[in-house]
Amino acid sequence: MTDAPVTETELQHYVDGRLPRDRETAVTAWLAARPEEAERIGAYRSERDALRAALAPIAGEPLPAELDLNLRRHRRPHWLSARGMTVAASIMLAFVVGGGSGWMLRDRAAPPIVGTAALAREAAASYAVYAGDAARPVEIAATGQLELDRWFSRRLSRPVKAPDLRAAGFDLIGGRLIATNFGPAGLYLYRDASGASVALYLRPMRVQGTDRMTWREEGAVRGWTWADDGLGFGVFGEMPADRLHSTADMARAQFRRA
Amino acid sequence: MIAPVQPNADLIAAVQPLIPALRRYARALLRDRADADDLVQDVLERAMGRWHQRREAAGTRAWLFAILHNLAMDQLRRRARRGAAQPIDAVPESLLAIPPGQETAVHTGDILSLVSRLPDEHRSVLLLIGVEDLSYAEAAAVLDIPLGTVMSRLSRARERLRAMIAEEPHRAPALRIVS
Repeated sequence: MTDAPVTETELQHYVDGRLPRDRETAVTAWLAARPEEAERIGAYRSERDALRAALAPIAGEPLPAELDLNLRRHRRPHWLSARGMTVAASIMLAFVVGGGSGWMLRDRAAPPIVGTAALAREAAASYAVYAGDAARPVEIAATGQLELDRWFSRRLSRPVKAPDLRAAGFDLIGGRLIATNFGPAGLYLYRDASGASVALYLRPMRVQGTDRMTWREEGAVRGWTWADDGLGFGVFGEMPADRLHSTADMARAQFRRA
Repeated sequence: MIAPVQPNADLIAAVQPLIPALRRYARALLRDRADADDLVQDVLERAMGRWHQRREAAGTRAWLFAILHNLAMDQLRRRARRGAAQPIDAVPESLLAIPPGQETAVHTGDILSLVSRLPDEHRSVLLLIGVEDLSYAEAAAVLDIPLGTVMSRLSRARERLRAMIAEEPHRAPALRIVS
């Protein structure tokens, strides 16, 4: 297949990152020899990324009550049991309180939060607690990365390795294990030259083994979540969406290659 | 009045996680928050009414996007007939109701206003594939066109957008930031 001519359809797949590995290599080499084509395809990728980033926040908005199917279940009078009312009230309260404090109500609010939405909350909460901890943000520092990776691999039951995010300006400072309702999770913390931190959070997913990259806002802490092959990921911080996005892309690419 | 349809647990589990993406696609097409959310509500009503008619679970996402796309196109056609649509260039970006305060907001307005000038058939492939991550086959199902047509539309839409950006060189640096 490597010798097959490059098609326009393949170039579109390439823009979307949907080519099989061998063809991706072939197309990359083909583009490297053709600067004009490379510029065109690069422009398509920029368009796509800009459009995604521009629209990402909409999907992160809280769902209004009219669009919440869980509330519809409780709409008819006989559904309006005491529990239904409590549920509706706590959801309303969660909307009103919003932001960072909303998540504390999660156990009482009706819609069970699972999948990468749950992961987003855990990741944002872990970031908020540990990234700002001047004394001991991590359990094992980056100097012990081998030990850290081995620990995570054992607890998450699969080989895990801290991705290299230096190309995004982030150095690994270390990591720690996090306890969640869904079992252990790993938290890698990175920092850039200006002192800004980013957290890479990962744990096995029971419900949503695969999920595309999704923008999440948990108060001031924001980031991207995705899931691949039964492992869920979150990249969270307090920086602009596009920087978090490119960092998340970089981490995802390394996990996919591994 | 017909009693409202009650969503069952299966439906909630399958549909609720997709609502944020449906809202996003609706808002990107209609460029108005209230209209878009009304439309999504309409989609949910229909999905509940026809839940047992959908073909297979794997296609739930494409099925919902197809319902949404068709309703949105109807609405855009009605708007055009009413002449209510303003000249597209005059549509204030605030109608998109992207929350402010993000550093990217200034730049993102640019790409959204450029995309809003594309014909619907081009805009929808860019959104379904590039933003909503639908597979090419899912996009073909949503738009009810052959796969080959999806690919050629996608190619043309991307090229057209590139030409528009090239015509407005001051916008280009903004787009590069997010690459």
